[in-house]
Amino acid sequence: MEKRMRYITIIIMTVFLSVFALLCWFKTSDEYSMMERRYLKQFPNLTWESVMSGRFMSEFESYSQDQFPGRDFLRGVKSATALFVFGQKANNDLYLAEGYIGKLEYPYDKQSIEHATKVFQSVYDKYLEGTNCKVYYSIIPDKGYFLAESNGYPSIDYEILEQDFCAGMNGMVYIDIFDVMALDDFYKTDTHWRQEKIVDVAEVLAGAMGKHLTAEYELNALEESFYGVYYGQLGLPVQGETLFYLNNDTLENCYVYDYTDMQEIPVYDMDKAVGADPYELYLSGPLSLITIENSNADTKDELIIFRDSFGSSIAPLFVEDYAKITLVDIRYLHSGYLGKYIDFKDQDVLFLYSTLVLNNSETIK
Amino acid sequence: MLFSGIPFLYYFLPVVLLLYFVVPKCLKNCVLLISSLFFYAWGEPKIVIIMIASILVGYVSGLLIEAFRHEKAGKLILWISVILQLSCLIYFKYMDFFIENFNRITGMGIPLLKIALPVGISFYTFQILSYTVDIYRGEIAQKNPINLATYIAMFPQLIAGPIVRYKDIAPQLNVKGATCLQWNKQSQRKISIGRWSEGRYANAEDIAVGIRRFVFGLGKKVLLANQLGELCDIFKTSQDKSVLFFWVYAIAFALHIYFDFSGYSDMAIGLGKIFGFHFMENFNYPFVSGSVTEFWRRWHISLGSWFRDYVYIPLGGNRVPKWRWFVNIFIVWMLTGFWHGAAWNFIIWGLFFAILLMIEKLYFLKVIEKHKILGHIYVCLAVLVSFVIFNATDMREAGQYLISMIGFGGMPFSSAETLFYIRNYGLILLLSLIGATPLAKMAVQSMSGKEKIKNIILILEPVILVVLMMVITAYLVDGSFNPFLYFRF
Repeated sequence: MEKRMRYITIIIMTVFLSVFALLCWFKTSDEYSMMERRYLKQFPNLTWESVMSGRFMSEFESYSQDQFPGRDFLRGVKSATALFVFGQKANNDLYLAEGYIGKLEYPYDKQSIEHATKVFQSVYDKYLEGTNCKVYYSIIPDKGYFLAESNGYPSIDYEILEQDFCAGMNGMVYIDIFDVMALDDFYKTDTHWRQEKIVDVAEVLAGAMGKHLTAEYELNALEESFYGVYYGQLGLPVQGETLFYLNNDTLENCYVYDYTDMQEIPVYDMDKAVGADPYELYLSGPLSLITIENSNADTKDELIIFRDSFGSSIAPLFVEDYAKITLVDIRYLHSGYLGKYIDFKDQDVLFLYSTLVLNNSETIK
Repeated sequence: MLFSGIPFLYYFLPVVLLLYFVVPKCLKNCVLLISSLFFYAWGEPKIVIIMIASILVGYVSGLLIEAFRHEKAGKLILWISVILQLSCLIYFKYMDFFIENFNRITGMGIPLLKIALPVGISFYTFQILSYTVDIYRGEIAQKNPINLATYIAMFPQLIAGPIVRYKDIAPQLNVKGATCLQWNKQSQRKISIGRWSEGRYANAEDIAVGIRRFVFGLGKKVLLANQLGELCDIFKTSQDKSVLFFWVYAIAFALHIYFDFSGYSDMAIGLGKIFGFHFMENFNYPFVSGSVTEFWRRWHISLGSWFRDYVYIPLGGNRVPKWRWFVNIFIVWMLTGFWHGAAWNFIIWGLFFAILLMIEKLYFLKVIEKHKILGHIYVCLAVLVSFVIFNATDMREAGQYLISMIGFGGMPFSSAETLFYIRNYGLILLLSLIGATPLAKMAVQSMSGKEKIKNIILILEPVILVVLMMVITAYLVDGSFNPFLYFRF
């Protein structure tokens, strides 16, 4: 028996190693991972210089991980082992609680908040001070605000974040939206909020800016299930969700222009809805500078929103009260060049950023 | 290249195994040598030449020492060889340490060399030193340069041990049944004089045991050591430290370094077995020791025995006056600490053990032999303290950590973050604590006493190995670069 099992062990392990080795050697490379929403490493450039510098080897290490056969399945195995076998509370900083996938947004990075406020304040000082612009700012709490502490996960102190942020924003009016938000405002598998659930948030923001939102919307749903960014990162089989968007005649007749690619784009981009990240449906996702013009508006008022990706889904809800909304993402457009594109005169200006970006603000320029 | 990396497991190893078992016996060492040089060059493409040069120096010195063994010249050649090997080690590993301290003492500003430390230099230098000393002491020099180079550069143990002694492995450098060639003066060429009747031979049992040892070692590294390392990293960057978190860190790091290093040794021993080699054991459940003396008989055994045989005993060991014996212990442990790294905390780490060992030998050993539990508690505390010193960036940090552990760091006893990470890594810590004792091994052995259970275990073994390999691969695919701790030594 013992002797036979020794041979069986050798045969089984030889087959296991051979099959995976052959697959590794001969599998064609995938270019993009839909689950992780990123381009995968390709076979590195093999040159004398790349070998002697060690660059080839380190790139090959990443390539071999990225292109490993059954990578998505194995990532799921790892996630399940960490969470359900080793009883870990989080895998790659992602956790499951109350049916939601959350991410540990911890620790609090005071320097990051200071960097963000420094950039925003410099925008204010350079372009807005002394104009007739009315300047507001608000903080969007991330999912962790509602999920982390109550489920035993470490969480940043949002009160301190709010205090530090407000302390760095001089000459601007703060709009508090923490109280009007709730956990079910967020998608379970994604970082972002649900457009159909944040009409009340838009009303609070608009109200603070002296507007009153009354528009009614038709609730539309995407046919395909929506799997948010956390779904792919966690790697576990979690149920998909329905992604909704709000539409009405006003929005249908808006003219949206993308200054990055110099082209007109729709408010809701259905091509993006079937792409890698369906949340890019809203105003085509991460674009540095876009304008939404509502020629049917009863007013000539304009709104400028400095925003992150959360801004894409809430901006259409302000359309009824503004003739023009400009969305600026200074993660992709350096704030020093804003004067070339925007004439700051008498607009309402709103800095609207999520705690996710504020606590990791190195991309804000 | 890392054992715990996809390139090693699924690109390099299958090809090497295939070639090794396919080629004729006389070429097996060539396959091992070429693959070992490739393995080393993968991580150190430029510095591989230094290792080759060291091997050449070792080879030539070995032949010369053997030729002049009984003459003064033999001793001189031995010293030259030792000085050359140590100079190389000192230049690459210790030069900046000496310059830095010289600058500090004299106030001068000699620029640091900032040379990259060649991976595994401490290990292969010690192997070459043991080879030349063993030849001087009477061992037969290796005439075949490929065999000697295979011994020194063999990839399973090249970069993190165990430190294999030449006299232990010399008979295994020949492959049993391979053609034995000898230089014939008349025909001026090598001729066959038969086949090796002795030498290494990998039978099915060795291969199966080797596979099991390798996979379990890999599991120790990937599933336990890496997770514990992650916890240590979290602690180091934590903004919410507490007394409890310092203790968790101390325990996690001690276990981390144990599973990292013993996991590597298991993999090395397992791979060795697959190729027919029998390397010495490097760890024997050190955390169950009842004294520090015992701990060092169970921890990094190959290094401890190397220093014993090549430094401590030549210095006179304990057969000298007491004051001299103390000096010998201090020298050996200072060198042991210094071997681990060119920094003061490593030296102090070594001397810390020297003091404990002397106290034990003089007074304490008798007490702790009577009170076993006291002995275990004392060893655990001593080891935790030692590894806090070991892993500190400098002595100031080590001091801060130790002060914080006893509650004088001005920190709360616990914090929300501490409790979260205890919950998050609790099971891994518990499994690691159990795994650091022979409990699981004893349980399997005791169950194997019954025929039926033994058969079940035998049947389950390949299944467990496949599942373990799958999970390990999953962790590697999901994870990033995880270098072994002992590479930097």
